[in-house]
Amino acid sequence: MGIGRELVVVIAVVLCMFGISLNVFGAVKIGITQLVDHPALNLTYDGVIKALEDAGYKIGKDVIIDRQNAQGNMQNAVAIARKFASDKVDYVVAIATLSAQACAQMITDRPVIFSSVTDPVGAGLIKKLGKNTSNVVGISDMTPVETHLKLIKLVFPQAKKIGIIYNPGEPNSVTITNIAKEAAGGLNLTIVDIPGTSPSEMISALNSIGPDVDVLYVGTDNTAASSMEAIGKAALRLKKPLVAGEIDMARNGAVLGFGFNYYQIGIETGRLLVQLLKGAKPQDLESQLISPDSLMLYINLDVAKSLGVKVPADLVSRADILVQNGKEVVK
Amino acid sequence: MIVILEQGLLLSLAAVGVYISFRVVDLPDLTPDGSYVLGGAVAVSLLYAGHGWVFSTLMAILSGALAGCVVAFITTRFRINSLLGSIMVMTGLYSINIRIMGAPNLPVPRFDTGGITGYESAMGGTPLDDLLGKTTSSYHGSGVKAVKVPFDNLANGHDLVVIASIVAVAVVLMWLFLRTEFGMMFRGYGRNRMAVRNLGVNPDLYAYVGLVIGNAFTALSGALFSMYSGFADVNMGVGTVVICLASVILGEIIFGRYEPLYGMLFPVVGALLYQFLLSLAMRYGYAIGFKPSDMKLVTALFVVSVIAIRRFRKSEVII
Repeated sequence: MGIGRELVVVIAVVLCMFGISLNVFGAVKIGITQLVDHPALNLTYDGVIKALEDAGYKIGKDVIIDRQNAQGNMQNAVAIARKFASDKVDYVVAIATLSAQACAQMITDRPVIFSSVTDPVGAGLIKKLGKNTSNVVGISDMTPVETHLKLIKLVFPQAKKIGIIYNPGEPNSVTITNIAKEAAGGLNLTIVDIPGTSPSEMISALNSIGPDVDVLYVGTDNTAASSMEAIGKAALRLKKPLVAGEIDMARNGAVLGFGFNYYQIGIETGRLLVQLLKGAKPQDLESQLISPDSLMLYINLDVAKSLGVKVPADLVSRADILVQNGKEVVK
Repeated sequence: MIVILEQGLLLSLAAVGVYISFRVVDLPDLTPDGSYVLGGAVAVSLLYAGHGWVFSTLMAILSGALAGCVVAFITTRFRINSLLGSIMVMTGLYSINIRIMGAPNLPVPRFDTGGITGYESAMGGTPLDDLLGKTTSSYHGSGVKAVKVPFDNLANGHDLVVIASIVAVAVVLMWLFLRTEFGMMFRGYGRNRMAVRNLGVNPDLYAYVGLVIGNAFTALSGALFSMYSGFADVNMGVGTVVICLASVILGEIIFGRYEPLYGMLFPVVGALLYQFLLSLAMRYGYAIGFKPSDMKLVTALFVVSVIAIRRFRKSEVII
């Protein structure tokens, strides 16, 4: 009926493209996938690129980067992992847990380097931290949850109920919530779940549960990170102090933030990648946490003032990033 | 290439389901967007609970059948249009699927892992310890337990054989069913409802059978896909109906008026072709800024344009 013939032509043309697919010889192909577009994960990506450049690799010449973003959707993450599998990229860097899980499931014959994965063990990526026998290795962004709670206790001594904002669909956030619940017992605090599987669910949960808690806490949840502006505004509207486990999240209306510089996480990841490029096997390398030296303390005295909170002077003196009178000072 | 065949065959099961509801019994059914996920959710949850993959898959098929049954009940009992009825069921399934999994997504672990401790215990503290005191908590995660699935994802042909056998068995069973006298009436119901009614048979029976079988196929597809790709996700069903329709239409274009196995090969071959075109688009599309997420729009445009062309030529009445 005519359409058939047109379709055959289309298929033939596409088949020809298969034949003339451009292959840049000699260059190494690196597929980098990240779960969602938010500052921490973008910084991780930038760090990886920086580490490659520092090691003398020219982007686009020695290494070809195929950067993909799953837009927060597991389906897209899997589609990207499949694309990397069928494209025969030589190395895969997967930023954030769900992207890493998708890649580790689909790609078993080439190195997969995960980054910014809080609990690579609980997520089933590796058997244990340190050296493993599989093709998967990487850097965890496990954050000091207990320290966050102790900070809350120091700055808000009256606080009893801590509302933790997270997406129960992100394994990383489930781990952080479990750690928080365990640590809260010893500190005489109660953890209240504020769950949302999407930014909109998260905001409505925050609006309905938020008034009942004393302090809001958000770890390194990717869903929260990608809608942090709205969460920060909601917290200010509710007049509840917000504490974040990551600096860029803290910049959106939090009083306190204590966490890693994700650029540094990217650089550590990039160093693993460089070692692999130089001939190391994933089995030779160690999956690790970031050293405490990279932890940074963020304090926003303006937000504290508007909430009528007094931050102890000895803590203020320790801040790496201090916001006062609308100005941010990085020490 | 093997991966494309594997994924195409996985998709073809859902496409067979959509073919049965849309074409064979002519009851447009949007439930597959939900029952596809339902199959995956049931299968992976049962795998977690320690059941074997065969049992989990069979239960997934049953769950899909149940969903189809509910749609058929709503459609026939309350005389609600099947499109509207199935949208209701599909929407409800979103909540049910999250309840089944206990979270919006659930991975399928391939090996046992140990636990992880909190950051402070692992690294021996943070720079603020002098201010805040030493670590007190003793969190130790439980890790995950491996589950056995029949796929190894090595693209060495093993998975392909498994999937192809399941598809072959399912299609042959369906063909044998359509050959029976009941199957003949079943096909007749889709082509001419009045004729079936005039034969003194309750036509609602065929609506039930069609929707039950259709959604059972979709759930089977979702269950196998989850085991194959290593997770079940509450959003993985979005667009299933449209993608399957595109596959069916591709199959119809290829075979034309010829109906092999009562047209059961339309969705199978169509799904393979669809997956092939999809992988080409993913592979070469980035040159023109094409993203994986754009594929749904392209598919929708494709289905609409094929229907438009057919209407324009007044050759057949479709959908």
